[in-house]
Amino acid sequence: MTPPVSVSLIVNDAIRRVEAKPETPLLYILRNDLSLNGPKYGCGLGECGACAVLVDGRAVRSCTVPLGAVGTRQVTTLEGLSAERSLHPVQRAFIEEAAAQCGYCLNGMIIAIVGLLHRNSDPDESDIREALRHHLCRCGTHMEILAAARRAAVYAKAERASSSASADTTEVSS
Amino acid sequence: MSTHCEIPKSAYMAADDALLIVSDTTMGDDAELFIAIGKDGRVTAFNGHVDLGTGIRTSLAQIVAEELSVPFEHVDMVLGATSATPNQGATIASETIQIAAVPLRLAAATALHHLLMKASARTGVALNRLLVGNGVVRASTGENWSLTFADLVSGEHMRLSIDTDAPLKPASAYTLVGTSRPRVDIPAKATGRWTYVHDVRVPGMLHGRVVRPPYAGFDHGEHVGKSLISIDESSIAGIDGLIGVVAIGDFIGVVATREEIAIEAAKSLKVVWRDSPERPDLNAPEAALRANPATARKLADRGNVDLALAGSAVSMDRTYVWPYQMHGSIGPSCAVADYRDDGLTVWSGTQNPFPMRRDLALLLDLPEDMILVERLEAAGCYGRNCADDVTADAALLSRAVKAPVRVQLSREQEHAWEPKGAAQVMDVRGGLDLEGGPSAYDFETRYPSNLAPTLPLILTGKVPPVSDVVQMGDRTAIPPYAYSNLRVTVHDMPPIARASWFRGVSAMPNTFAHECYVDELAAAAGVDPIEYRLRYLPDPRAVDLVNALAERAKWVPHKTWGTLGGEGDLLYGRGFAYAVYIHGPFPGKAAAWAAWIADVAVNTKTGEIAVTKVTCAQDSGMMINPDGVRHQIHGNVIQSTSRVLKEKVEFSTTAVTSKEWGGYSLITFPEVPDIDVLMVPRQDEPPLGVGESASVPSASAIANAVYDATGIRFRELPLTPELVLAAMNGDKKEPSPETPAKKRRWWKSGLSAAGAVAAVSGIVTMSSPWRPAIATISRPDTNVYSDATIERGRLVAAAGACNVCHIGPDGTPFAGGRRFDTPFGAVYATNITPDVENGIGAWSYPAFERAMREGVSRDGHHLYPAHPYTSFAGAEDADLQALYAYMMTQAPVAEKPPETALRFPYNIRSMMAGWNTLFLRNEPFRYAKARTAEWNRGAYLVETLGHCSACHTERNTLGAEKGRKAHLSGGFADGWDAPALNTFAKGPVGWTEEAFYDYLRTGHSRDHGSAAGPMAHVVQVMRPLPDKDIRAMATYLASLNDATGPEEAAAQKEAAIIASDAARANAARISPKGERIFNGACATCHQGNTGLSSLALNTNLHANTPDNIFQVILNGVEAPAILAESTRRDAPEVMSMPAFRETLNEMQIKDLAAYLRARFAPDKAAWSDTESAMQRVISSTH
Repeated sequence: MTPPVSVSLIVNDAIRRVEAKPETPLLYILRNDLSLNGPKYGCGLGECGACAVLVDGRAVRSCTVPLGAVGTRQVTTLEGLSAERSLHPVQRAFIEEAAAQCGYCLNGMIIAIVGLLHRNSDPDESDIREALRHHLCRCGTHMEILAAARRAAVYAKAERASSSASADTTEVSS
Repeated sequence: MSTHCEIPKSAYMAADDALLIVSDTTMGDDAELFIAIGKDGRVTAFNGHVDLGTGIRTSLAQIVAEELSVPFEHVDMVLGATSATPNQGATIASETIQIAAVPLRLAAATALHHLLMKASARTGVALNRLLVGNGVVRASTGENWSLTFADLVSGEHMRLSIDTDAPLKPASAYTLVGTSRPRVDIPAKATGRWTYVHDVRVPGMLHGRVVRPPYAGFDHGEHVGKSLISIDESSIAGIDGLIGVVAIGDFIGVVATREEIAIEAAKSLKVVWRDSPERPDLNAPEAALRANPATARKLADRGNVDLALAGSAVSMDRTYVWPYQMHGSIGPSCAVADYRDDGLTVWSGTQNPFPMRRDLALLLDLPEDMILVERLEAAGCYGRNCADDVTADAALLSRAVKAPVRVQLSREQEHAWEPKGAAQVMDVRGGLDLEGGPSAYDFETRYPSNLAPTLPLILTGKVPPVSDVVQMGDRTAIPPYAYSNLRVTVHDMPPIARASWFRGVSAMPNTFAHECYVDELAAAAGVDPIEYRLRYLPDPRAVDLVNALAERAKWVPHKTWGTLGGEGDLLYGRGFAYAVYIHGPFPGKAAAWAAWIADVAVNTKTGEIAVTKVTCAQDSGMMINPDGVRHQIHGNVIQSTSRVLKEKVEFSTTAVTSKEWGGYSLITFPEVPDIDVLMVPRQDEPPLGVGESASVPSASAIANAVYDATGIRFRELPLTPELVLAAMNGDKKEPSPETPAKKRRWWKSGLSAAGAVAAVSGIVTMSSPWRPAIATISRPDTNVYSDATIERGRLVAAAGACNVCHIGPDGTPFAGGRRFDTPFGAVYATNITPDVENGIGAWSYPAFERAMREGVSRDGHHLYPAHPYTSFAGAEDADLQALYAYMMTQAPVAEKPPETALRFPYNIRSMMAGWNTLFLRNEPFRYAKARTAEWNRGAYLVETLGHCSACHTERNTLGAEKGRKAHLSGGFADGWDAPALNTFAKGPVGWTEEAFYDYLRTGHSRDHGSAAGPMAHVVQVMRPLPDKDIRAMATYLASLNDATGPEEAAAQKEAAIIASDAARANAARISPKGERIFNGACATCHQGNTGLSSLALNTNLHANTPDNIFQVILNGVEAPAILAESTRRDAPEVMSMPAFRETLNEMQIKDLAAYLRARFAPDKAAWSDTESAMQRVISSTH
């Protein structure tokens, strides 16, 4: 292993400085140095998805992302999805559908659906299932998670409609 | 810091204003506390069970709020903290609501009664004229007063014993129980604010990891606890941040300041273990279970079984086999322990806070009352996982280092060591009588499991490694049907692999036999399977359930299989099964009744079974929280479908080998069936456990459905494609394609050492082997070199990739010491920093140039051609002069790398003189006039400074690069296959100039994949080269290939991807285990990932040998984003490929490689002699 270095990261829109070896998995940095407990250790092999975070809006497994690979990319964790008092629509959908039993995999499920909606604003059932294919849930919460994902897609659509409506309005008024 | 400590019971006992309901007031403060109502009117309720993810925190609060008539939000639940809650044993057997909630409900009723009495006394209103709701007491006659619980509790400390006769609210008056309250924990869990045990951090906390012995997954036998031979602590002495190593018996742990340092230390610690004894084959567990010593215990014997068997019209003896399975908690177990002089506190995800406290007391020689167990939620477990083990691990480490320690088990450790759900063998002897009824039912079951003692107790020798036997194989062992001649025997036996209770404990396998067998009877009798069951089902609630389910699922009675037909390769089928889960000591208690109708589609070509829909009916008695019950049913249906179709723990002869999710695969979202749940309303009946029941009919329902589709009975699990195919088609094997002649390794040509001596010494005579030393100089003054010269030298060093080979062991540039294994022995790179003693600081330029061009060191000794002087010979003078200048400006390193010491005769360096006569052409590089300047520049870089041929050309028996056609046609270096750079390239897509450019510049080409191993280092050190040099190299290299245009490359790429998609089914047939590993471990990144190229394009999969594939699987690949840092083209992947060295064994890697080859290089023959490749690769990694 190489000696520790001082690294700046952009996590949840803030610049954070940490000192660690560059090969340290981002997961441990987020959890142990930044006290962000959303991402969970599940396998350390990129297989289960419990540690998912967004890097530049794409869902990745933070257990396999070396600190040294992050650079100036934007890291967003479960905690960073929602502002102080509001919920991200995907989080809201998961809460409304009670899409957790033990909830340990929940972080990855939510991050995966946020990532999906970034790249596909109108996913169908098979898009949703594919996006979750490599996210493991052992409690068997799949039905509720799928329902939450469908609901999240509806929220995303509604949000788009309302923002495009307001954009139209702006256009008209200008 | 997210420290989580419950308020201890003593604080409630000491409160001035409180109403406490306890087990027995005469016990004083030692009594167990069930309910505490504070002066603010808030209710705290205590239960010794824990929430394993089923939502009992919410359901129990509903029960308490209902009985007390307070708002749900006024109730806080405290679960499983030894400092506060009553000892109600382990949270097992779906007992929480059915059993553990009973005293809680009575305590609430006791409290309410007391409060009403008090209100009556205070207001003078008779008890029967008081109304209570929302925590407020009023008079039914409408007087203008009200008293809150806060009013009633304030002013005194009152303690009451639970009154078992307290008046309970009638179910008809329920407003809260029976409604679907949202779970209280989910909002915090969905936003990252919930504290799981994994998230506990206490001040001064250190990080620990354990190193487990090699007999993974076995906890008994003489060697257990006595297999450690030695630990070499010096192997990790250099790790900064290491706090200590702890070893007691076979228990080993390391503690460090940071988590990743603890991981590194645990991985690097050199430990020598005794070989583990061989175990019976548990992959096909039937024989092992039959041979395991057992005691027969007869549970039922009615009628005359033997007589009836003898008189059967049709005899049907059947054996059903259940595999070892695992809980597979998604989060490996974790705990924090803080051992101090005044006692131990542990933060644990245990299922059993009180039994675990007893184990910790035994392990640490502490009285139980000096141990505090704070129970926090962990990842869901469905029986006993490693939660207690890791808590004991943390306690041992904390005691040793005198600081709080957090221990997180690795995925591999949790998989290997969790107490498994045991394999089980069920035999049924029976048959049909003359009327088609069951003649007899003689059932025997074998269940090798116990309670799995906490592992550190065994590893440290505190508890002898001898397995005890527990009687848990009897659950639902009695079939539900009224067989008039019935005998049921359970063979109680100790575990073979470490095993303990797992959801549906022994009942799920027993029901697999019961419900498949009755289906076989129905088929043999020519009767519809449901009708046949109903003839013999005496339980009216069961009959109601079965009828309700049949109606809901629109069951069509049928007397033979195959009535649903199929389409294309698919056959459709439907299967039924019913069970009531009996838990607790025999004869046990019934939990909820459950029945399944499963719909399946069986693919006759691939053998895959899709469970398309499950209709599940359940009678749960009263449902506290119907949504909670529904979610439990969903969970059970999905988890058990996964177990039936996919799950089986694999073993070597000594240990568990399924150590991640490829080797033990779970159901994925696309495979999840549609589920229709029918919950029978029984709100007037007592509540029943719902945590396991819906799992129990799964295996038989699915197996019966597969029979209905195919006419084949499967009596062993899991129902993998290979099992189905073997049964449907026999064991037809694909003819294996011819293996083409392989490129021979250059040292495998049969040259003996003696032959080499003869060959080389013959040459020696032809040229003088002795070269003079060149005098030393004092280290040159670097001021004489211009900045431009030094910069040119820097680029020459980059083009020459000097620092790939000459890098120091700690990353110091040019310090030397890297080891290269050649067929002649290990060669170590030298120190080429300008250190006078150890490097080249005393070398004049002529000495340097001679070494570079002729392979002769300053002192006259010959260098081995691992130093590629045959390439450098053609370099331009100006380049070598600049390189010399640059090297002299480097920081000197006063370290001497190991000396190269080849074995005889290769240690006679003077022989190299003869070698040079044969193979060294010391002449300037010849530029081709007809070519462009760019091409010539590229050729010069590739052929001289870049010395690409040193790796990418095959060598002859004397270790020299072969000429002509072999030049750049592929070679072998440092344990890696270096692919051809010319027309002999094996990949499916031709190399374009653009592809070479991308690859050399960023380490990644979209049509070919990423650089790994030594080539990744080459790309890294070439970073300083200007784009135009990289472009020039690409131009030259592209010219060596058949001109491939971008359009042609695109077409080749598309064709390769289409071919690999088409090869999917065949590859799965060739290597079904490999496919599962690919899907579980690899596909997450290597399928549908836009950041990486398709494996169908990867040169390594099209290579003649699997060396590079083995290299990357064993050792991982660094994130492409690190290599591509300078350009950030194409949003390169930021994830690294993990090393699977500790996770997959050689057999699994070979299975995986076989699948990868068949799937992604379908036009190539299967790799042969993978064993040699594996040994080469393993020995090449130091």
